[in-house]
Amino acid sequence: MKTTVTSTDKSLLNFRELKQYAGLFRYLSLRDVFVRYKQTKIGFAWSIIRPIVNVLIFGCLSYLVDRNGSFADKFIAVSAGIVFWQLLSTAMTDVSNSLAANSNILTKVYFPKLLLPASSLLVCLVDFLIAFVIFLVIFISFKGLPPLQVLWLPLFLVHGLVLSFAIGLIFATASVRYRDVKFILPFMIQILFYASPVFLSSEFVLNLHLPEFMKVIYQINPLVFIMNGFKFCFYGEFESFQLSYALLSMGITALLLIVSVRYFLNFEKSFADYV
Amino acid sequence: MSEIAIRVNEVSKRYLISHQQGNSADSLVGAFAGGIKSMFKGGQPVAKEEFWALKDISFDIHKGDRVGIIGRNGAGKSTLLKILSRIVKPTTGRLEFEGRMASLLEVGTGFHGDLTGRENIYLNGSILGMSKQEIDSKFDEIVAFSEIEKFLDTPVKRYSSGMYVRLAFAVAAHLEPEILIVDEVLAVGDSTFQKKCLGKMEEVSQNQGKTILFVSHSIETVLRLCNKGILLEKGRIKAIGSMNEVAKAYLDTNTGISSKRIWDRNDKHNPGGADIRLLSVTIHDHQGINKEEYDVTEKIGISMEYEVVKEGLMFTHSYNFYNEEGINMFNTHDTVSDFRKEIRATGVYSTTMWIEPNLLAEGVVMVGVAAIKIEPFTILFHEQNAVTFTVRDAMLGHSARGEYTLGFPGVVRPLCAWTTLKK
Repeated sequence: MKTTVTSTDKSLLNFRELKQYAGLFRYLSLRDVFVRYKQTKIGFAWSIIRPIVNVLIFGCLSYLVDRNGSFADKFIAVSAGIVFWQLLSTAMTDVSNSLAANSNILTKVYFPKLLLPASSLLVCLVDFLIAFVIFLVIFISFKGLPPLQVLWLPLFLVHGLVLSFAIGLIFATASVRYRDVKFILPFMIQILFYASPVFLSSEFVLNLHLPEFMKVIYQINPLVFIMNGFKFCFYGEFESFQLSYALLSMGITALLLIVSVRYFLNFEKSFADYV
Repeated sequence: MSEIAIRVNEVSKRYLISHQQGNSADSLVGAFAGGIKSMFKGGQPVAKEEFWALKDISFDIHKGDRVGIIGRNGAGKSTLLKILSRIVKPTTGRLEFEGRMASLLEVGTGFHGDLTGRENIYLNGSILGMSKQEIDSKFDEIVAFSEIEKFLDTPVKRYSSGMYVRLAFAVAAHLEPEILIVDEVLAVGDSTFQKKCLGKMEEVSQNQGKTILFVSHSIETVLRLCNKGILLEKGRIKAIGSMNEVAKAYLDTNTGISSKRIWDRNDKHNPGGADIRLLSVTIHDHQGINKEEYDVTEKIGISMEYEVVKEGLMFTHSYNFYNEEGINMFNTHDTVSDFRKEIRATGVYSTTMWIEPNLLAEGVVMVGVAAIKIEPFTILFHEQNAVTFTVRDAMLGHSARGEYTLGFPGVVRPLCAWTTLKK
């Protein structure tokens, strides 16, 4: 097998090479899963506690704002959004940290660097699955089986993961050169929390007295469709659904994925010079 | 001629070095203002200077060659290794190689303190490019080699540093790519283990016909391990050919170093780190006069000056002596001064060590200087080939030579006591 490296190499997605490094991908992911809660007393319980605490906080908040209905109802009503948001926001954060966090490997050995963000995405998914099972148990015990719409779930899950990955990847690539990114991302996630129907419903936001352009921005936000889609799987109603939203969201996601992977590959070979 | 394993064609690597303009960035406010200014100017806050770490490097390496890459600090050895192992991209040029390549630029790359020895073997092995099957099949060998059986399921952060290095090296030693690139990783670990590793590498390279590229400061090691050599100087190839010739060329260029060297304390290439800075090393006679040549019968002093910048260091001094062939004649460290057991106040210190008359053989002597902590062993700085001097025998009859004037081999030339009795 002959390998050629030139200064003008085109950076393409090399699937054959990625396949060769499947073993490394597995160990990197296993490492991240094992290490995540190492030296914590309760270990994996944290991946359950974090969303539960968040759900309780926002459940209380929504109960305080609007006393109609029982606390349990409010709790269930916010939980789907919070649990799913937890996945998307940690995915964005972890993917964007994945390169800087592994700088020691980046500068010492060759491998397709895409493995790093990809494996951190996988770890978020493992975390999510644990939280999701708990959510399902609670949901079913209060509400019974979810409606048939739940069959759409994999679609929204994949869509959300792809979008988080793309956003995370752009930040990850930029953070190799500009550490500023590390400080910007938390703000962005905080803004997205309110600019997506995680806690505040789309109807609530669109009925606010906001300047028109902000509502347009809100509708362009691809996360709006994804979050509403996820809720739709459990509550059976699709808030402000229009086909154009769905297409727009998917289009933006696909575009971001292409742009982010291109951007990543363009800089991949010079990571070791900057990190 | 055998097949070509690696072909490097006019490879260059450029780095841009930033220089901060003016003193404005010395203060936090200044740096902040500079940052804001640059945001609005959109330009570069700093002047950039080009630096060619490698320039027009071309060579071929044949299958089964064991190539030693040598050169002084900053000659471009590490950059070359990083380009060969595809960690960094060349600025210009082309590189081709045939077969599977693994690089070992550090012992224990990717080791995670929270994972157990067993888990780290798999992680590190896969980072170095081994498949699960390979690791499985070599697992027992790796464990036996590392001598850590009992601690296999203990997180490696609980290991002693020796155990850590042994485990890390054991994994690396069992790599079996067609091309292996090794940076100076053998410089770690205790000497018995180092020998074991070198032995293993020798075995792999000579018996299994692997291509090996090996960077080292130790001429002895490359001479033992390698058959071909490349000498780099300031990013260019200075010599290439058989290891013996290249080693000789290296030592010849090295004798260009004088018997006195002074470092700029603010230079970022200063051999010291942030805590301690090497200022000068001088060879001198008993009167303190600096010369290039000394008679065998003269007492020779080696003095170094350094500045302790950070409070709280405790260390001693160490010198290494090498002859022209790169043989380490002897090492010595300060076991007598009171300072070695004291926490140093900041400031400039001067240390002198004396070589007694009639100890060294004639020839060129290269001196390495270091500041080290003994327990646990840590190197604060180690400047190999800091200075050189030449020893001559004036043949006046009172050296070990006596009246003998022909070739006189031997690494040292002590004047020994002889007695002869008639029975």
